[in-house]
Amino acid sequence: MIFSLVNISLIIGILLVLAGIWAAITQKNIIKIIIGFSLFDTGIHIIMVALGYVKNNTAPILDSENLRTGTADKIVDPIPQALVLTAIVIGLGVTALMLVYALKMYREKKSLNINSFKDLKW
Amino acid sequence: MVTPIYIIVALLGVAFALGFSGQKQIKAAGTLALGALAFSLFVSLEWLIGLYTETYKSTQIFTAGVNPPFSINLFMGTGEALFTTLINFIGLFGGLYLFNKLIKKGRSTFIALLMLIMGLNVVVMTRDMFNLFVFLEISSVATAGLIILNQNKKSLAAGFKYIIATGIIAGILLIGIIFMYRFTGSLNIDDIPTGNLLMIKGFGTAIFLILTSILLELKPFPANGWGLDVYQGTHAGISVFISAASGTALLYVLYKFIPLMSPSFAFALSLVGGLTFIASNLLGLKQTHPNRLLGYSSIGQIGLVVLVIGLAPYLGDKFEYIAIALLGTHVFAKAGLFWISGIIQKDNIRKWTILRKNKLLTILFGVFMLALLGFPPFPSFFGKWELITELAGNGFISWMVIILLGSFLEAVYLFRWLGYILKLEAAKKELQPISWNKYLPIIISAILLIASGFGMSYLHEHAKFINYIPLIVAAAFILIDRLPVFIKNTLAIASVGLWYYMMYPDLEEFRLIFATIFLVGGIITLLAGYAYKGKRQGFYPMALIMFAGLGGLIEAKTTLEFFFAWELMTIGSYFLIIRGKKSISHALSYMLFSLGGAYAILAAFGLATVNNTGISLDILANLNIYAPAIFILLAIGFMTKTASLGLHIWLPGAHAEAETDVSPMVSAILLKAGLFGLIVMMIKMGDQMIFGLSISYFLGWLGVFTAIIGNLMAALQEDAKRLLAYSSIGVLGYALFGLALMSHLGWLGATSIAITHFMFKTTLFLAIGGVVWRLKTKNMYQMGGLIKKMPFSFISVLISIIVLAGIPPLTGFAGKWLFFNAIMEKGWYLQGALISFAGVIAFLYCFRLIHSVFLGQLKDEHRNVKEAPFWILLPQYIILGVLIIFSAFPNSLLKPIGEFITPYLPNGALVWDGQMAYSLYGYWNGELIMYAVVGIFVAVLLWIIFWNRKIKKVKQFDIVYAAERPFLPETTHYAYNFFAHYKKAVGILAQPMISNFWEGVSEIGHSVSDKIRRIYNGSGQAYLIHIIGFIVIIFLFTFGGF
Amino acid sequence: MILRNSLLFLLLIAFAAIIISLFSTNYSEAEQLGIVAKHYAENAKAEVGAPNLVSAVVVTYRGLDTLGEVVILFLTAAIIGFMLKSKHSVNNSDKRIKGSEILETAANALVPIIILFGSYIFINGHLSPGGGFQGGAVIASAFVLLVMAKANAKLSHKIISFTESVSGFSFVIIGVLGIILAAGFLDNTFLPLGKYGSIISAGAIPIIYIFIGLKVGSELTSIVNNLKESQNIEI
Repeated sequence: MIFSLVNISLIIGILLVLAGIWAAITQKNIIKIIIGFSLFDTGIHIIMVALGYVKNNTAPILDSENLRTGTADKIVDPIPQALVLTAIVIGLGVTALMLVYALKMYREKKSLNINSFKDLKW
Repeated sequence: MVTPIYIIVALLGVAFALGFSGQKQIKAAGTLALGALAFSLFVSLEWLIGLYTETYKSTQIFTAGVNPPFSINLFMGTGEALFTTLINFIGLFGGLYLFNKLIKKGRSTFIALLMLIMGLNVVVMTRDMFNLFVFLEISSVATAGLIILNQNKKSLAAGFKYIIATGIIAGILLIGIIFMYRFTGSLNIDDIPTGNLLMIKGFGTAIFLILTSILLELKPFPANGWGLDVYQGTHAGISVFISAASGTALLYVLYKFIPLMSPSFAFALSLVGGLTFIASNLLGLKQTHPNRLLGYSSIGQIGLVVLVIGLAPYLGDKFEYIAIALLGTHVFAKAGLFWISGIIQKDNIRKWTILRKNKLLTILFGVFMLALLGFPPFPSFFGKWELITELAGNGFISWMVIILLGSFLEAVYLFRWLGYILKLEAAKKELQPISWNKYLPIIISAILLIASGFGMSYLHEHAKFINYIPLIVAAAFILIDRLPVFIKNTLAIASVGLWYYMMYPDLEEFRLIFATIFLVGGIITLLAGYAYKGKRQGFYPMALIMFAGLGGLIEAKTTLEFFFAWELMTIGSYFLIIRGKKSISHALSYMLFSLGGAYAILAAFGLATVNNTGISLDILANLNIYAPAIFILLAIGFMTKTASLGLHIWLPGAHAEAETDVSPMVSAILLKAGLFGLIVMMIKMGDQMIFGLSISYFLGWLGVFTAIIGNLMAALQEDAKRLLAYSSIGVLGYALFGLALMSHLGWLGATSIAITHFMFKTTLFLAIGGVVWRLKTKNMYQMGGLIKKMPFSFISVLISIIVLAGIPPLTGFAGKWLFFNAIMEKGWYLQGALISFAGVIAFLYCFRLIHSVFLGQLKDEHRNVKEAPFWILLPQYIILGVLIIFSAFPNSLLKPIGEFITPYLPNGALVWDGQMAYSLYGYWNGELIMYAVVGIFVAVLLWIIFWNRKIKKVKQFDIVYAAERPFLPETTHYAYNFFAHYKKAVGILAQPMISNFWEGVSEIGHSVSDKIRRIYNGSGQAYLIHIIGFIVIIFLFTFGGF
Repeated sequence: MILRNSLLFLLLIAFAAIIISLFSTNYSEAEQLGIVAKHYAENAKAEVGAPNLVSAVVVTYRGLDTLGEVVILFLTAAIIGFMLKSKHSVNNSDKRIKGSEILETAANALVPIIILFGSYIFINGHLSPGGGFQGGAVIASAFVLLVMAKANAKLSHKIISFTESVSGFSFVIIGVLGIILAAGFLDNTFLPLGKYGSIISAGAIPIIYIFIGLKVGSELTSIVNNLKESQNIEI
């Protein structure tokens, strides 16, 4: 089952990570670099969720049916889902901060080219 | 006992509560924030003390009421307590330092500060990997917020680079953590199976990603441009947090992960650490921006600790000691330096002269700088000592070289900076008044640095025996620095005298001779200090530190004590030398040569402990391996002080530019420390062979050439003090040669030369110093005819040069006579011929000295010159008296020395019969010769006076120049270019080849530095590429392929 | 340029190889839960009392992480506020920018409903998918809508920051109550677990979620608000 749902999402996640890095290291526009970071983050999040999947199991919400039939462990792993929640919020915070930086940098130099901010070097 | 969870509660609670405050209550809010930081410091300190005294036990702190790994747990052990204490210290005092600034910028800055410190506390304590990630992100975001404290172009660009770099790094860390969870089913560090799992791909890759991203946060070379730009771009007060607090926390994280490392990753880690240490210090060479320079130094120091962590398995139970000593020094010293930089606020280290308007800050700057470089008595001294010893024990020679080279490079730029501060032309502006909240953190850091130095020495099995009293006495002179010279000089003489008195009963053999030269000689030269008026601030503490070092060399029983004293002596003499007028470059080169030599000695002592027990100096006598290498390293180290050829270029300038009474201290006394070292080494080790050749044979030739070149250079100087300085090089060449003979007579000659050199060089430097004192010039062509104006100085110089040149009847001849006997015995005829040729050259400069200074015609402007001050003459005449006694009764000096030497080199000793000495080749009666020569001299003198009584004297200015018009005023003086004819013949030998060589080395270093640092091209994107590239390279290194 | 890009591409390939090597030896699709997850599945009912295991993990088992993530948002909002604080603090641009009528009317109608929906999400966080962050984000979207629709609408910084602080502070207090009244920081069992599956159950989880919801809502609103005001200044 190479093309199971899990594997497809893992592949998509990895591709997003790579695409994000590619954008971050080749694009000159700061906004595009930030978009690259968002892609990178999103890719990681997809990988995280996909890794928590357990074959044929259900959502990690124990309703009465689960408990009655004694199949409490027939759920997918709740931990990666909890972690991804945290990671998303952190990613959101960092992205917001980056964007505000970009805004302020634009106001300083009227440019969004990353190469116009090379005053500090060597 | 307060549970550490309350650190989090307090910091968080206050941060959230700050939201209630408006701009009006900002001061109260800020004080509350500092209160929370103080509380955290209190909690962690309480734990540290409790755990250290074993009243507390290390504790797990569970959250959520469930045991780990099902919930997040924190751990508080000794390590955690220590590191959180360091972090909270920086948090509290960094906050205090920035208080006014933060108040101005509003409450958000306080929130960011609190959250940064809270994040770092949790990062240190947590045992959960994802929790680590979250709180690492908190501290990154908080740092990104603090970087833009001053919102300007620079800090914005730096902050953005910081965010994108840490963003990528955090993402990679997250990938590693989630896969780790996938493979182990737990997020707890303690659940990760240890062993060589890093070798297996898959699981190993996950560990690799975690470890590498932590490493990347520590700014390894070359993926650290973002960190450097931040140091340069942000306020120095913020850099303190990044350098001292964040770096510390992340190092601890790396430490927590040690069990996960495979040998190949640990090796990669130490390689990266070593490379970072060397590279960032190399790149620092070209840097002029103070904060960026401190950034380079900071990254280098952290690299050093990373190196130590990588080598942890080999360092055994010494690992923690070394790491804490190095890291503790880094934290306090770097924080202090950044804080000072925040007060000075100049963007070029050349503009830092303003610092010296504030004496206290200047002293503190010196303390931090010396601590960083691992000088005693700071913790890093002991850390570096242990590190080198352990590395030597493991046979890691190349690591030793890397560490010593990196430290040396760091010393280059730090001492250059110090030189600028002390000696560059002063800034006109005054320093702004500094409020107490900026002073306090700096002072406390310095105090803690010194205290932890003593603490580390107390914890060390050998260092606890070090005698700190002389150093404390020297430090006490800082407190009475405002008293007049007279009192301080008397106290200084009294304390040196007291020490000699207390030491005297234990002295024997060479230690007696050299203790007398160092300390009694010190007292005699100190006498000249009475000639100074006013306060002479800063002189006495430094002079006493030097004497503390010199005395310590005598007292040293172990290699550690010896090295400790050696370093003290170096610091003290450096500060004495830099007091001179144009001494900035000479003092720097003196320090660099001394440090290079000191590192050679350190390496040698390290190697000597291999396969040996203990560190007593006696281990040098029974070395199992490396003996020739140790011999060479020690010889190089000691010869930097005796200024042997090749290592001499620091000497002329340093001695010539020094003050009148400092010149004899650093020339007549200090150089003997090198000689003492050589003697100790040769007594313990004997001669060593390398490739079947005796090393002392080479030393002998080196001595010969040193003597020739030193004397030749002396003859060609225009500057009287420089002449004397070069002459010291030459004379110590003789002494080196004598020691290298490895025979009784050779050593007797060398020792007697050491003693007489001390005597005549003291009188000469004082006499010429007295002339310079009155004439305000050192150039001999501006002197002349001073015999009538300064007769006492003349007589003193006359007698001294008779001794120097080895002319009978004075004791210098004894040295020569012994030498030629020794040479005949050894059969080194060619060397002997060259040495005697060097003696002929010595005549030339002796003649030039006395002729152009005291004889000839008096200059018009010197008609009213007075004799040198009494206090400068007094020491000269004390010494001259002793000289005459030794000359008339040579056995009073030579016989005891001979007895000292006999146990080590029994063959060919002199046989004494009254004042008559017999050697294999003849006899010599000092007393008789004295009477004969004095008799002849008196007779000739009377004869001359009798025949010259009718001569008519020509007035001085009767002479008229021929129709020639001189190009330079000095060319009309006969004393200018006195030995032009000899210069034509042998001038090629006097070319500054060796100076050119060392300048070339320096030039290469600087240009390499300039080339490499171009990789930091300022683009945030380039830095990202470096990071990704770094990961790929370390991966390839760890796994050997994809 | 092409050379540079192809070199970078090689670098990216190498990096991809590292990522792919994560799957090389011992990776296989999971058949069953790991030890920790299994523990949660079996014991969460007794220990935490929340049917939604993700919430149980987020709020209780890994409560410290959640506190951290709240901190990050808080910190970001504070820093952004600091960065965008205008030097001339009051913007007197009295220019009345009129929003579109449709948008404005729709906003009036929708905002209360969105807020209600957001509250529903975080109050039921321990029972069904959802929770404080999701609910808070929904609430913030209501204010974004408001800000978009009414160009001159001014949200009071004071109220936002007050809500933020109260909820954050209360979160910490609840955590401490866990130490004092129960077994550890952020332990939710100092309140009775109640009837499994009902609204008022699972100890302190619903309360924590309410505070998180308020906090996230106010922080996101504050970020958007700050950005918007800073935009006004520029015009």
